[in-house]
Amino acid sequence: MADEMTAEFEKRYDGGPSVSVALRLPVERPHVMVLFGPSGSGKTTVLRCLAGLERPSRGRISFAGETWFDAEAVVHVPPQSRSIGYLFQDYALFPHLTVARNITYALKGAGGSERDAHVQGMLRLLHLQGLEDRRPAQLSGGQQQRVALARVLARRPRLLLLDEPLSALDAPTREQVCGELRALLESQGIPAICVTHDWVEALALADEVAVMAGGRVLQVGAPDAVFSRPADAEVAAIVGVETVVMGQVVERNDDLAALEVGGVRLWAVEPSGRGEEFYLCIRAEDVTLEIGTRPTSSARNHLGGRVTDIRPAGPVSRVTVECGFALSALVTRQSAQDLGLGPGVPVTATVKASAVHLIPR
Amino acid sequence: MNWEPIVLTVKLAGLTAVILMVVGMPIAYWLTYSRWRWKFLAESVVALPLVLPPTVLGFYVLVAIGPKSPLGQWYQAVVGSPLVFTFEGLVFASVLYSLPFAVQPFTAAFGAVDQRLVEASWTLGVSRLATFFRVTLPLSVAGVVTGVVLSFAHTMGEFGVVLMVGGNIQGVTRTVSIDIYDEVQALNYAGAAQTALVLLIFSFLILSVVYAVNRRLWAVWPMK
Repeated sequence: MADEMTAEFEKRYDGGPSVSVALRLPVERPHVMVLFGPSGSGKTTVLRCLAGLERPSRGRISFAGETWFDAEAVVHVPPQSRSIGYLFQDYALFPHLTVARNITYALKGAGGSERDAHVQGMLRLLHLQGLEDRRPAQLSGGQQQRVALARVLARRPRLLLLDEPLSALDAPTREQVCGELRALLESQGIPAICVTHDWVEALALADEVAVMAGGRVLQVGAPDAVFSRPADAEVAAIVGVETVVMGQVVERNDDLAALEVGGVRLWAVEPSGRGEEFYLCIRAEDVTLEIGTRPTSSARNHLGGRVTDIRPAGPVSRVTVECGFALSALVTRQSAQDLGLGPGVPVTATVKASAVHLIPR
Repeated sequence: MNWEPIVLTVKLAGLTAVILMVVGMPIAYWLTYSRWRWKFLAESVVALPLVLPPTVLGFYVLVAIGPKSPLGQWYQAVVGSPLVFTFEGLVFASVLYSLPFAVQPFTAAFGAVDQRLVEASWTLGVSRLATFFRVTLPLSVAGVVTGVVLSFAHTMGEFGVVLMVGGNIQGVTRTVSIDIYDEVQALNYAGAAQTALVLLIFSFLILSVVYAVNRRLWAVWPMK
């Protein structure tokens, strides 16, 4: 296929683990694939193989009809010729060059004035005006990250590879940069593969999530599908959140926002008041189940529905309630017995507004 | 005061340092990045002049560039004069003798450059050679200066190798250390003291430059 990247390869280390993946990525439109998994799962190795910094032991990598790597035909296109942008975890800015020289580092041949205009454009795009003559050591973490992005974007790569792009930032900066990064990736129209172990980052950035563990891809799919309907217990343990659904803001009231999800309304504490579309994430242990009529309590969300599934998980039972969307709840086995929970039983699920975690899209 | 040996020695040391800078960098680059399993053999060969008695090294160089050796014959055929007991022969021997003093600081400096910066440059489309000159070398300046200055200073003070390879031809191969030795043999202690003092002050200044540039202790062999 000419308009997609396909990678199917294995990288073996002597006496160590092996990493084996098969991935497809459309390359004609902006599309962000997130490789999600715990550290040591082989995410960065995949990225380095795609960049050409590592040579897989077997397999093929092709990009829009070009062969980048083929073990059997002994093809290995060097990183210089792949026209990619690789954002390193610690940004790898050249410490001996100024911000402006870092950004123009890869630009050859362009005339002086053309290059200046390009740099100015990049500085504006990434809010770096006034920092041209600083050295990387004189920048904050967030600024360094933006310089690294500018350096990568300046040469218009065909594919972006982002290795834990936000992990070196402190928490408040991370939240802000995360939103900016998403908007930037969309506006630049460059397909991207992003490695992260943080599920908030994964949900905020991804069009598609590939869950990795032990050097294997366990599940690939839309973020809400992967996070709320993990393919097996291993994926469920890795993703860790139980209910992820997309919702639209329909009403705002002080710091609270009402979102419509599958025909029902949920109140949630809004993070910073921007965006209309959010992923709603609810942990199963934050959901309370009651039998019968709608109770009154300080919790804002009371959702009527029916139990569709109940299965034991250690000392507790995992109950799935269909209430416009599939909601997971954890109850003790004793409660499940006392309440007489079983498939088809009508229940009311209660969730505090503060337990609904919103991730902007 | 006899300045001729001093001028000759500075010329020899300067030329040796320049040659070592050009020759030593590719060797150091290879030693830094090669994953060849027998690399340690090459490292040992480079380090050999550190432990080998200068007379032993000098002896082998003498045989290697002598008129009966292939190298000596080839040189005679190309240049028209023998290599042994000439200034050029002395430069050749000095380059070998001071090789570790250039290559080891170079290797330490290249190895200390964050490999991710090099990879970042590659992924930005810049060739390996251009990456070396634009990233690795600028970040290794202190080590390169150290290597050049140390090989210069080391050549200034060489004795055994010069004696074996160069002989003692005034104005051609009589260097400072040989001049001092001659003066002492001739019981001219005043002359020896003058030249020795010049060499002492000079060496001290050179080392001061190295330490001022580096601001840290220079290890004889890089920790890697």
